[in-house]
Amino acid sequence: MWIVHWLPSWVFYGLLGISIVIFGITYFLRFIPLPFLYTYKIPIQIATVLVASISIYLLGARANEEHWLAKVRELEAKVAQAEAKSQEENVRVVEKIVVQNRVVRERGQDVVRYVDKEVVKYNNVCEIPGVFIDAHNKAVEGVK
Amino acid sequence: MKYLSFLIFLIILQGCSSPVPVKRNFPQAPGVLLEPCPPSLKSLNSGAKLSDVATTIVENYTTYHECAIKNKTWIEWYQNQKKIFEEVK
Repeated sequence: MWIVHWLPSWVFYGLLGISIVIFGITYFLRFIPLPFLYTYKIPIQIATVLVASISIYLLGARANEEHWLAKVRELEAKVAQAEAKSQEENVRVVEKIVVQNRVVRERGQDVVRYVDKEVVKYNNVCEIPGVFIDAHNKAVEGVK
Repeated sequence: MKYLSFLIFLIILQGCSSPVPVKRNFPQAPGVLLEPCPPSLKSLNSGAKLSDVATTIVENYTTYHECAIKNKTWIEWYQNQKKIFEEVK
């Protein structure tokens, strides 16, 4: 609401105060030595009531705006905190996956070294039948 | 009076606007988790020896374990991020 941002609060308080004072003065217009003013008593009263109502409304709007802005700031702080936490979680996950994958690869390499050292001795003793290789290769095939 | 009532109506309508300025997105997953597993496992050549068979099986198991870690971490990442996301209210 642009008018709430544009005008400072004291303007609305000022307008409210002035309109109340003028409204009060209208009851004493007959004592003011300007007779033409008394003829405008009702229009002046209507105008002051309108100005007072608008001022009260805009003061309420400003208070509401400030309340929501405070809530927004609170939520933004929470979001920033959550984003930092989320980033920490990402770093933790990446570190974890890198470490675990390295362990798995090292273990695999250890076993391959063991195979090259020990199992290789039985290469001539144990002949692998073609059906075994076929069965293995069929199991290896994924879903196409 | 007609213009005045229009002005008042306009001001009252202005009071109804309430924008929602805080926008949130679910966090982006780390690149490591987005890398796909190898499309296929290693197969044996015809005439493979016992050591070739053992090596190929070990390599395939390694691939499986890597993918299993990735899958487990994905689930863990999603659950933790969901919890963090839902904490903000």
